[in-house]
Amino acid sequence: MRVLVVEDFEVLARSIGTGLRREGMAVDVALDGTAAYDRLAVTRYDVVILDRDLPGVHGDEICRQLADNRCASRVLMLTASDTIEDRVHGLGLGADDYLPKPFAFAELVARVRALARRAVPPLPPTLVCGDITLDPARRLVFRAGRRLELSPKEFALLECLLAAPGLVISAEELLERVWDEAADPFTSAVKHTVHRLRAKLGDPSVIETVREGGYRIGSP
Amino acid sequence: MTGPRPLPGRSLQARLTVFYATGIFLAGIVVLAIVTIPLAGIQSTIPAHSPAPAAITGTGDGIGPHQLLVGSAVALVVLIPIAVGGGWFVAGRFLRPLRAITATAKAISAGNLDQRLDLGEPVDELTELGHILDDLFARLEASFNAQRHFVANASHELRTPLAGLRTLLEVTLADPDADTGTLRSACEEALTLGEHQERLVQALLALATSERGVTRWDTLDLAQVVTGVLVSRRDPATQKGINLAEHLTPAVTAGDPRLIESLVANLIDNAIRHNHPDGHIHVTTQTSGAHVVLTVTNSGPVVPEDQLQRLFQPFQRLSPGRNNHAGHGLGLAIVNAVTQAHHATLTTTARSQGGLTVTVRFAPRLPPYRRDVTQGMRRSIAPHQNQQVKTHADGHRPTPHQAQTE
Repeated sequence: MRVLVVEDFEVLARSIGTGLRREGMAVDVALDGTAAYDRLAVTRYDVVILDRDLPGVHGDEICRQLADNRCASRVLMLTASDTIEDRVHGLGLGADDYLPKPFAFAELVARVRALARRAVPPLPPTLVCGDITLDPARRLVFRAGRRLELSPKEFALLECLLAAPGLVISAEELLERVWDEAADPFTSAVKHTVHRLRAKLGDPSVIETVREGGYRIGSP
Repeated sequence: MTGPRPLPGRSLQARLTVFYATGIFLAGIVVLAIVTIPLAGIQSTIPAHSPAPAAITGTGDGIGPHQLLVGSAVALVVLIPIAVGGGWFVAGRFLRPLRAITATAKAISAGNLDQRLDLGEPVDELTELGHILDDLFARLEASFNAQRHFVANASHELRTPLAGLRTLLEVTLADPDADTGTLRSACEEALTLGEHQERLVQALLALATSERGVTRWDTLDLAQVVTGVLVSRRDPATQKGINLAEHLTPAVTAGDPRLIESLVANLIDNAIRHNHPDGHIHVTTQTSGAHVVLTVTNSGPVVPEDQLQRLFQPFQRLSPGRNNHAGHGLGLAIVNAVTQAHHATLTTTARSQGGLTVTVRFAPRLPPYRRDVTQGMRRSIAPHQNQQVKTHADGHRPTPHQAQTE
């Protein structure tokens, strides 16, 4: 899952980034509105965590544009003002959710996950394909009832493939969705992670390599 | 809200009607009396045994005084409902704008401060009252908006670092592989955030104190205050490579020493914070004619002329964004509040080569008797401030590092 954190208070932005990465998400951080625009223009984010009072371009403006462009990104607004009028106004601009500061980090994670579930088509809270079960909130993966220990990247990659059963997902897309912008586009990280994931999942192999295409889980 | 009050109804209209009807009725009686009394006299002047020869005048029998009296009495009785009805109508007409004022004022006090009475023609006493009330509502609205804006800003400035602190600690503690180094750096960051919050709360308190007004008038020398403040500002200035120069001549004035020290400290801190590396600051105090003048000039980024006024509002900064190094946007607001509390004048010029020149011009030192008068007035006006005056008088003189700065 790819997340963009837009927040001008650096300590907060950095801490959210660290925390979400530990939850297996690929996180980019923008410290002002202009940087947020630049990132939104090149990357498709699943969730955007947006502070309202931003230097550069105001958070409200970014939110309005995302909604106007019918962007697939879900917007979680973070703000210091928590009056009912403010919340109503924020949601009216097109935000999908609203979280007043200060917040509990666990709640932020739960809300980001809830927003990611609202992808089109909506995803169930637990992803199932054959005898593989993946629970994103509790970060658990089972194969035929046996629990598997996966690294954050392996987990996120499997989550990505399971979210689109039967569809081919290219290595480039996996790189964009699972790794953050620090990743080298010519890296073979995807290939290696798929290799390790296959080993951990065991036989029979479920991840199918499609030549010149990418990877697939489940029958087409 | 104290619950619904009993409706005033139309008691004023009823009273005006009664007043009006009684007036008409009394006037009727007086007219009747004026007419009847002479007639009663005429009756006695007619000679007995020589009845008026009706045939001569050809007017018939005519009406006698008795009939006239009865007729007038009937007219008077008929006049009562007409007078009451007319009075009710007229009073209603004149009270209509007043009722409109009451209804609108009620709606406005219920929370719609953006509404106005907007009474048009004709211009009379009631429309004048309406205009005065409109002005009052406009000022109230502006002041409430400013207040709301301030609270929203303050809550934003307070909540964001709190959110940062909480997330930092939660994320660090949730890390199963955290080692001493990670924990230590998180703690250091938490401390920095705490200091930042502390300074913000101090600045908010300083602003609140200065907006409350001057509670004591002491004679003080601005040159000494500046010298005291500069002691603790030299090191930060030197670290940033800023050349801090002063030219101080005695400048004796009257004021609240704590507030004036806070003003000087905030001006100098502002000049240090918004300066170039290798920039300069020049502080002067002097007595110029009848006034005492403090001037702080600093190099720094160019300030657009139209942004000058904004900088003296709370939470306004030239460059947007929050970080630990920039101020909270309260320093110049404190300077402004202290200046106003002392009835001094504040002049700010944006230097074309960058930076600001801020001049504060204080009134001359008040002679002792004037100060006594002023203090006496303050005591009589605000008895609750008595305590503060006393505490300050008993209290200690503030030392430079205690000055509350932004």
